[in-house]
This record gives sequence, structure tokens and C-alpha cells, in this order.
Amino acid sequence: MIVHRSWIAGLALGFLIAGFHGRAVAFPVDGDQTTLPPKTELNEDALDKPREVFRSEIAGGKSYMINLGNLAFSSAAILGGVARQAGVSCGTCHVNGAGNAKFFMPKMSTRPGNFDTTGPLFNPKADNLVLDPVRIPSLRGARYLAPYGNDGRMPSLRDFVHNVIVNEFAGPEPSPVILDALVAYIQDIDFLPNPSLGPGGRLIGKISDSERRGEALFKKPFPHDPNLSCAGCHVPSGAFVDHQQHDVGSGGLFKTPTLRNADFNAPYFHDGRFDSYDQVVGHFDRVFDLGLAAQDRRDLVAYLTAVGDGTQPYENDGVGATLKEINDFATVLGTAIPAGDKDTVALAVETIGNELRELTEQFPDRKNTSVSGGEQERVYARSALKELVLTLRRIDIAVAEGRTSDATTDYRNYRYLMVAAVPSLLGGAQPWSLFNPAVHDAHYAALRKVMQSKHVPH
Amino acid sequence: MTDVRSAACLALLVLGMGMRATIAAPLDDAAERYRPYMIEGIGQALAGARDLRERVVAKDLAGAKKAWISARAGWERSEVFTAGFVPELDAKIDAWPNADSGFHAIEAKLFGAGRTDVESDTDALVEHLDGLHRRLRDMPLTPQGLLDGTVRLAYEVGEGKADGGESRLSGTSLDDMRNNVAGIDLAHRTIFAAALRKTDAGLADVVDARIEQLKAIVAGSDLPHIDIRGLRRASEELVVALQGASAKLGLQRPTLEAQSR
Repeated sequence: MIVHRSWIAGLALGFLIAGFHGRAVAFPVDGDQTTLPPKTELNEDALDKPREVFRSEIAGGKSYMINLGNLAFSSAAILGGVARQAGVSCGTCHVNGAGNAKFFMPKMSTRPGNFDTTGPLFNPKADNLVLDPVRIPSLRGARYLAPYGNDGRMPSLRDFVHNVIVNEFAGPEPSPVILDALVAYIQDIDFLPNPSLGPGGRLIGKISDSERRGEALFKKPFPHDPNLSCAGCHVPSGAFVDHQQHDVGSGGLFKTPTLRNADFNAPYFHDGRFDSYDQVVGHFDRVFDLGLAAQDRRDLVAYLTAVGDGTQPYENDGVGATLKEINDFATVLGTAIPAGDKDTVALAVETIGNELRELTEQFPDRKNTSVSGGEQERVYARSALKELVLTLRRIDIAVAEGRTSDATTDYRNYRYLMVAAVPSLLGGAQPWSLFNPAVHDAHYAALRKVMQSKHVPH
Repeated sequence: MTDVRSAACLALLVLGMGMRATIAAPLDDAAERYRPYMIEGIGQALAGARDLRERVVAKDLAGAKKAWISARAGWERSEVFTAGFVPELDAKIDAWPNADSGFHAIEAKLFGAGRTDVESDTDALVEHLDGLHRRLRDMPLTPQGLLDGTVRLAYEVGEGKADGGESRLSGTSLDDMRNNVAGIDLAHRTIFAAALRKTDAGLADVVDARIEQLKAIVAGSDLPHIDIRGLRRASEELVVALQGASAKLGLQRPTLEAQSR
């Protein structure tokens, strides 16, 4: 899943979509006066992205269905008209299959990292007239985490995905193959490896005393109810879950969340009410009268942090990573074009085309005042990317007209450009692109400065 | 070295894709027929900028905003040729996002901060537009350069500006798009349409249809209700059609970035 990077979205000024009293319209929420809360930074403005680990890549390579699912996951066309207009895809919230602690949508979020799935914006029919946002969960290891939904209401991931598309977002009924592909993709997203976890979920390796004490406390029965313990629900195992729903004093029955990679899954609880493990432990201490000493709490936090860790949770977003994902998407065309599969070709062309257009904007044009130098390199990069977009469009036109042979030729040209020219052209321009932190910061600082002029008192 | 090789590779492929049967068409006269429209478009921008200066001096914020919008309309219709034929002036007049001068610098103060202390900015804008206006009378025009500009603008329109566009502070990004499309339409009708119809009526129909489609889409009531997906599709299909037209017109395949030929 590639993150959308339209320039304005990087302003941290709350630019997605607005729904006012059932009338859903695109951008911007509350006009220019929108101010996002602290800690919010729309993912477009971030250089580091959550790292995505695929089970199938370890096994040898991603299948057509996984790539198709990843493509659909990244497509604004899947979630219906309002989302499409706003450029919102599954990946907008679940960045690279992880959560998105910085996501905030005015009127639909109460804090960064949550979102009201039963609000009026996408599907007025699903509006429960209450602002009750839920935490945006990470999808890492989802295949181990049934049942689905924060309240665990659906045993089937396929049914859950269908519900999100059709009911929460009022999207069009997905074809069975698209639904299967989305499930295949989600089920392929693995937990980040954690070398500190051994068999049976035990901490191994260099473990601190505090972590060891925390591990013991985690398994210790609660003083006022010996049938309960942290480990009773977060069963030390592959995923630290029990697949059950419990009332832990947070306002209802909610399923046990995984502790794997949870260091990167804040905010915590179903509604994202807690920012830190310390707050979570404090909640359990209060609700279950655990009588934890300050050191006990620190030890539990140390243990949770060790369990929730993961190798290289973020990776720098650069030309190489972006092109790799686009190339994965494009492999779908290799199957869909010969099959004359117009719908899949159209989906791929639209989605990849959007990604390429957004990638183009990573290389500022010559009128952009926030970068100087590398003008010719940027021209080459932008030209190449635009040429790819148009080649894809020719493919779309040809397949729609039944000219499979022409589409195949254009696909060959596309692949040739992608292999022979584009990586080095983009790499050559990268120092003057928004992938360069200095250029990135200058660009967004310039945008903020301009947009903030709207807030100058007068 | 690698970049040069790759660029050459790209260029060869791109040019090769455009090297189909070509029928030379006498477009120079047609390009000359476009000149009065260029002068008129920049003339409108210049008149608006002069009016803007007067309003600014009078501390008339509402009048200044109106004049800015009028000047901007003339400019946006002229973007078919500004980037390609006068890139240095284009960069001064239309720099973005935090330009020291030009339209967007003035926009930030007028529409953003609600200030009218933009006299030096408007002086510079008038000077630049006046200089351009005078140059247009004898500036060498080439059909190739005008096709390049038309194609580049057609591609740019497909970006949709769903995020608010570069004229977001003034809320006129949709006007920008409408004027861009009007500029594309005018350039095509004046310079290329007749010659293309003679060589390939079917392709001429496609180009006309795509332009009409773009006009219909940007005629929407406001930016949030523009069919972004349809706009992008129509834009790209128009560019693809114009790429095909270039060969029919005896021209090179149009470039997608200014100064990239």
C-alpha cells in the first residue's frame, strides 16, 4: 500500500473530506480554519513509513491474488463515491497494513488515531448519530486475530472486509475475486519479527530484570479474582490473544487485542483512549484493584514493551521502496491484459496511475520555490513518470476496445521503461526530491507558511 | 552518466512510439493566427494586474481581490504557451508555494492575511506581464512548442486539484482549471483542429470529444463536486489522442515537461 502524498494533505490542516448533516462533500473539513490537534501529522507528511512484512515474500513471492488485493487496498475506487472523491482508500488508515496513529478527521475523530465508522460521512444510513470513533487497528498478523472488529462481532475476515466496504463506507458491492484478493493480502501481512520472543511467548535473549519481573506479574493471578490474570486473556503464544471478548471496564465487551508489535499500535483500547502502556496498566490496576506498586507498573510496562517490539518497524520512504510497490501492483496487468479483464485493468490503471501522479509530485517542478538545483534531473524524472501514466492509459483504452495485442505491446513498453530508465532517472533526481529530508522540510515549511497566512489576525 | 543513458533510452522509446506515418501539415500560419489570442489573454492579465495595483494603492481589499481574480483568469488561459515560450517569466509570475513575487505571493497577502500592502509585488507583476505582453508581438511561435504546451496543460488539468489546488487561498482553483481548459480548447481549435481533421477525422473527433468532456466536467458547481476520476481519465485520453495527432500533423511527439526537449 502506498501512501497518498498530495501536497496539500501534508499541511496538517485537516484536509480530507467533510460531511455536513448527511450531505457529503469532498475537502476540506471546515475550510482553511481547520486546525488539527497536537501529534497529528497526516501520513503524507512523513518520510518514515511502517514497514510491511509479507509472509509470502519469505516463502518465495507474492501471488497474483495478494498483489491484486494490495492494489485494491490502495484504491480509492473500492470504498465508494465519497471515498473515491476524497482519495481515501483502505490504506489511508491502515498505512502499509499498520495502523495510523496520526490520522485525524475533524468531526469523525476525537483524537489522532481513531475514526467513527458509524458516522454520517461515508454512509448516512450507517450513522448512529453518536460520535463514537474506534481505534484504527494494525492489520499485522490479522490471520491470527479472529474474530474481527474491535468487539469481535465477526468470525470471518472476509465478512468483516465486506461489511467495511458495503456498510461502513457505502461502497459498491465488491466482486468475489476482489474480496478474496483483499483477504489474501490482509492475511499475508505478517507481524514484524521480534527476536526477544521465544516458544510459548516467553522472553528470551538478553532480558532485563525489570522485564523478567514484568513477565512474572503478567502471569500472576489477580489478587481479588485468582481466575484472572493478564496472561489469561493475552495468552503468551504467537499472538498473545484468546480470541474472546471481555469487559475490562472500558464500556462494553471488546475482543482481546494482540500484544505483538503493540509498541507501534498506540493509541490503545477500542476507542484509542490511552496513549501509553503506563496508562493501560494504570487502568487495569484501578479497575481490577491489582494493588500494583510503582515498580510493578514499571516492570509490566517493560515487559509489554519487550513483547510488543518488532524489528525495524519503520523504513524510509524513497524511490526504491515506492517503485517496488508500484511494480508489484503492475504485475496484475501481466495477468489481466491477456485475459481481457477490463475491470481489473481499469482498477490497476486508475490506482497505479494515481500512485505515479503522486510520485511525480515528489519531484517538484521548476516553479516550486522550495527547492533549487537539479532542474534537469527533475524534468527527466517527471517526464518519465508522466510517460508511464500515459502508457497505462493507452493500455486501459486498448483493453476497453478489445485491442489486447496493442495493450500487450504497451505493457511491454511500460515494463521496459520501468526497468531500463525510470529507476535511474528517479534516483538521479532524488537529491532534489521530497524524499530528501532537507527538501521535504523546506517544501512543507513553505506550504505551512502560506496556509497559515490565513490565520493571521486582521 | 547513468542518467544520461537512461534519459536517452527514455527519449528513444518515446520518440520511437511517436514515429508513425506522418503527414506534414502547414501549421505555421495557424500558429500565427493564434498570436492575437495570446496577446489578448496576457492583455487581460495585464489589465487585471494594473487594476489590482490601483486597488491596492487605494487600500481597497475587495476590489483588489476582484482584480487579482481577473488578472489570474487571463494568465491561466495563457498557460498553453507561458511555460514553454517564456519559462523565466513564467517562473517569476507563477512561482509557488511561498513565492517572493508573482500571483501567489500576492494571493497569500490579499486572500490569506487580508492585507493590501502588496504594492511592490503588484509593481513587479505589472512589469513582468507588460514585458511579456510586448514580447508577444514578435516572439517566434512554433506549432511544436504550442502543441507541447497544449499537451502539458491537458495533463496538468487531470491532476484535479481535489486538494484545493495552488490557488486555494483565493478559492479559485476551479476557475484556474476552467481557464486552462478554455486555453486548451482555443489553442486546439485555432492551430491544430482543421489540419488534424484533414488527415484523420476520427482522431479529430476523439480530440474534440475529450475537450468537450473536460469542459463539461470543470463546469461543475464547485471543486468538491468535480468528478476527479472522470477528469483524470478525460485528461489522459486527450493527451494520448494529441500524442497520436502529433504524428499526423508532422510534428514530434509532444513533451510532457517544459524544457525537456
